[in-house]
Amino acid sequence: MYATFSNARSNYMGRKKQKQKVAQPPELPPDVPDDEVEVSDEDLEFVNKNQDYAGFVSRLDTQSITRHVNRVADAKQNDRSADVKEDALESRYEKLLRKKSLATENVQHEVDAVDALPVKTLDGQVYYRSVSKGSNQSKNAHIEDETVGENEDVGRDNGVVKLTKAEKRVKQKKLRKEAKKQGKEVPEVEEVQQSSQAEVLAEVEEDLTVEEANAKKKYRLAEIGTSMLMDPEGNIKSLKEMLQICKDGDHDILILGLKSLLAVFKDIIPGNRIRLPTEKELAMVVSKDVKKTRFYESTLLTVYKAYLQKLMSLEKVFSFKRVAIRCICTLLEANPRFNFRDSLLKAVIKDISSPDDVTRKLCCNTIKSLFANEGKHGGEVTVEAVKLIASLVKDHDCHLHPDSVEVFLSLSFDEDLRKPEAAKQDTKKIKKKFYKTGRRNMEIASEKKKNKQETLSKTREEVKADYMAASLAQDFNEKRRIQSDTLSSIFETYFRILKHTLQSGSEANESVTGPFGEHPLLAPCLNGIGKFSHLIDMDYMADLMKYLRKLAGGSTDDKTPSDSFSSHLTVTERLRCCIVAFKVMRNNLDALNVDLQDFFIQLYNLILEYRSGRDQGEILAEALKIMLCDDRQHDMQRAAAFIKRLASFSLCFGAAESMAALVTLKHLLQKNVKCRDLLENDSGGGSLSGSIAKYQPYASDPNLSGAFATVLWELSILSKHYHPSVATMASGISNLANANNQVFLANVSPQQAFIDMSLDKEKFTVKTANKQSNSKRKRGNRPPLPLAAAGGADEVAVVDENVVRTKLSEHFSLVNEMEENERLRRELDRTTLALQLHREYKKQKKVKKQRTM
Amino acid sequence: MRPLDESETTQVFEKLFKFTGNNLKNIVESPSHEGPDQTPGRYCFRLHKNRVYYVSESLVKRATNIKRENLVALGTNIGKFTKSGKFHLTIQALNLLAANTKHKVWLKPTSEMSFLYGNDVVKGGLGRITDNINAYDGVVVFSMTDVPLGFGIAAKSTQDCRKMDPNGLVVIRQADTGEYLRNQEDL
Repeated sequence: MYATFSNARSNYMGRKKQKQKVAQPPELPPDVPDDEVEVSDEDLEFVNKNQDYAGFVSRLDTQSITRHVNRVADAKQNDRSADVKEDALESRYEKLLRKKSLATENVQHEVDAVDALPVKTLDGQVYYRSVSKGSNQSKNAHIEDETVGENEDVGRDNGVVKLTKAEKRVKQKKLRKEAKKQGKEVPEVEEVQQSSQAEVLAEVEEDLTVEEANAKKKYRLAEIGTSMLMDPEGNIKSLKEMLQICKDGDHDILILGLKSLLAVFKDIIPGNRIRLPTEKELAMVVSKDVKKTRFYESTLLTVYKAYLQKLMSLEKVFSFKRVAIRCICTLLEANPRFNFRDSLLKAVIKDISSPDDVTRKLCCNTIKSLFANEGKHGGEVTVEAVKLIASLVKDHDCHLHPDSVEVFLSLSFDEDLRKPEAAKQDTKKIKKKFYKTGRRNMEIASEKKKNKQETLSKTREEVKADYMAASLAQDFNEKRRIQSDTLSSIFETYFRILKHTLQSGSEANESVTGPFGEHPLLAPCLNGIGKFSHLIDMDYMADLMKYLRKLAGGSTDDKTPSDSFSSHLTVTERLRCCIVAFKVMRNNLDALNVDLQDFFIQLYNLILEYRSGRDQGEILAEALKIMLCDDRQHDMQRAAAFIKRLASFSLCFGAAESMAALVTLKHLLQKNVKCRDLLENDSGGGSLSGSIAKYQPYASDPNLSGAFATVLWELSILSKHYHPSVATMASGISNLANANNQVFLANVSPQQAFIDMSLDKEKFTVKTANKQSNSKRKRGNRPPLPLAAAGGADEVAVVDENVVRTKLSEHFSLVNEMEENERLRRELDRTTLALQLHREYKKQKKVKKQRTM
Repeated sequence: MRPLDESETTQVFEKLFKFTGNNLKNIVESPSHEGPDQTPGRYCFRLHKNRVYYVSESLVKRATNIKRENLVALGTNIGKFTKSGKFHLTIQALNLLAANTKHKVWLKPTSEMSFLYGNDVVKGGLGRITDNINAYDGVVVFSMTDVPLGFGIAAKSTQDCRKMDPNGLVVIRQADTGEYLRNQEDL
């Protein structure tokens, strides 16, 4: 964006470069660079040609100018002495640039009558300057045409094209520096500009129709915007005008005005908070420089405030809502340190769960970027935002859009919140040691040496303290405080959500389904807990696990088998609970190896409840990986039960799910040698039948299912699976028993397998369809074996469905035909019988007749 | 040999419930496949000479043929009533408990020996522990290879175990398989 404006600037420069000399205040001898003098010759010629434009030169008050320039020079020198370190080259370059821009502006103001405003001089008189109108106007329009296009672009693009932080900072710095240096010189020029412009406006406005007025306003906006960016401090007053345009314009103008104001503010707002001077300070006598800055700052602040108020009021109007939100978000994102950020933040967070997708996205992205770039504001905004979100969740009783809690995921915390203290202690210890060992040597060393050492260390400490004070690095304690505050509010929110989910579950069937589903926040909340689990205090851990256990469907008290509210949560959500519990355990509680039996029971039952269309297969695969593959040890009974269940599971689902299940199964078999007894094809199943003599497929507890009493007959069916890789996997597993304890570590995780298989699923369905249709002819109307076996379960995977349908239809049509055939034959028989009877009847009749005759 | 009376039944079931929780149902209702009957019978509890036995119904019928003085034991001995009338589980109940228990503790191989000599389980010897154990729940002790070694009472809940030092008691021993050698005459 900056580039476009600087382009505009260079355009001006190109056109009016020649006039530089006219408005240039006389240089002080030591400051004149050589090349400057060379150009001036041509300029003189140009000035001579255009005498009428240069008329004001004759009226210039040379004395005041020299006085003024001297003062500027002094100020500059002061500046210089302050920034001694600054590179000489750089400063010269900057000054050159500044002069050029100044010159162009001067010229421009002189030519563009509309630019000029009435000016109040120091003694209080107001000057208006009149310039011939006609020629000026045409030029005006020309210039404005260009700028307006650019400005509009800027307004539109600012959401998309963003400068990097570093760029922005540099630019802001430059702008500020320029502004400070120029501060003195500009107003004089403005006098001219302003006075002429007001008159022109007054005259022209009467003639213009409404449309023209609108167009005019647009031009005006663009113009002010450009000039603001070129010289913020000089043109600060015109900000008010911009705001005024916003207020009385119609819809389009308003939006344009808001956007251009946004662009301006985004660029000129400093990176720090502005503090308005107290009354005491106002009373003090200050230099003009300070006064100017104060005026600038206070104007900026008042206009900014008015702008924000306007935005807030517009935000409630439907048609302006998106624009207003976009402005608010951009402002907050660009300057998180500036004044009024609280109200901005409040506005953003209020809309963080708005039903409007665009608005919500904007707000969420803003908050996320605030969280991600904490260096920009030192973390304070993070705490505020998190607290606000927490209270929002509380107020809305956890019925918000999931996005509003998902933003927490982009937070980051220092891993070693406690470590540095320990490190400090360590250094102390080392120091002590050092002193001790030193003392031993001290006996030999002289007293002098000791003194020297002490002074050395003292100065070192002083230097270090100075460095700490000077460096911008945040105080460590402060940072820690901020982070712990943030953490506590985050976990407060998470626990609130968990608790709410529990309560809404136990208050049976009181379905308060909001617009976002029943438990909208649960999924992001669980994700968040999984991510930040290593930061949870150990004291909360018990509660957390208890909640998770309840949510996953198990209950702590053994009396109620807890189907009361587990049915409220979907299978996916319950699987997530299990996963999170395992993650929490692994991150924190490695010291004690705890066996999460309840969650295993849940998983064991959830496998049965899984439906491939309804639930997310990835989550199931993840659960299998985390709970079964990564866990180090298992009960033998439990492992066997899981192996059996996974085998049956893989029979009745699609290739992807069954592959994930088979991978897990293989892993389990490899780790648990005894479970390979399941592969033996004895009549009694595994030799270790344990206390339960019979396999109970419907048992809800893996320990009681008696899986050792059965065999993995599923594998032999699976080895005829339509998908070749599933088939090879299954036959590979069934050969595992003969591999005499050789352990091949599986390098594929269930998740990986699932993703791979679901990727080539589509590709594969076509192939299978062809294959099946080919083999159909060979097999005739015999129903396919594996499918018949799986037919007990009514949920055959989507992939198989078409094949099954065609097969079944063929089968049934054949059956129909046979029935039809039979019916026809029966009919035929009947008719033939009837015919025969009839014939006999006739015969008998004949006989009777003959008798009677 | 006689069935347990009311107070005795509650005592036995309370003890068992400490270990098995809801799975107590499985103990009572599990079908027995003993004997020639086609329909599987149930298991029941019988008191004989102050000892409680877990016996299948078909065996009970057959045992009635033997004189009370001559009957030494029948079914699985799971515990005994002390002289003061309290019920104690004995080591023979281990098989029944291990199959149905809710709370398990796995021992490190190094501390197995110590436990089998009759000592309590300290945290240092703990290989693994089930989540969600409360203090004074009944716990079955396993070796890392899932062989049941004995049972006892949890001294601390799982949560508290985390904060303990390695010498703290986790399980108070009630019975261990070492008793088969140590107290042969009592069993």
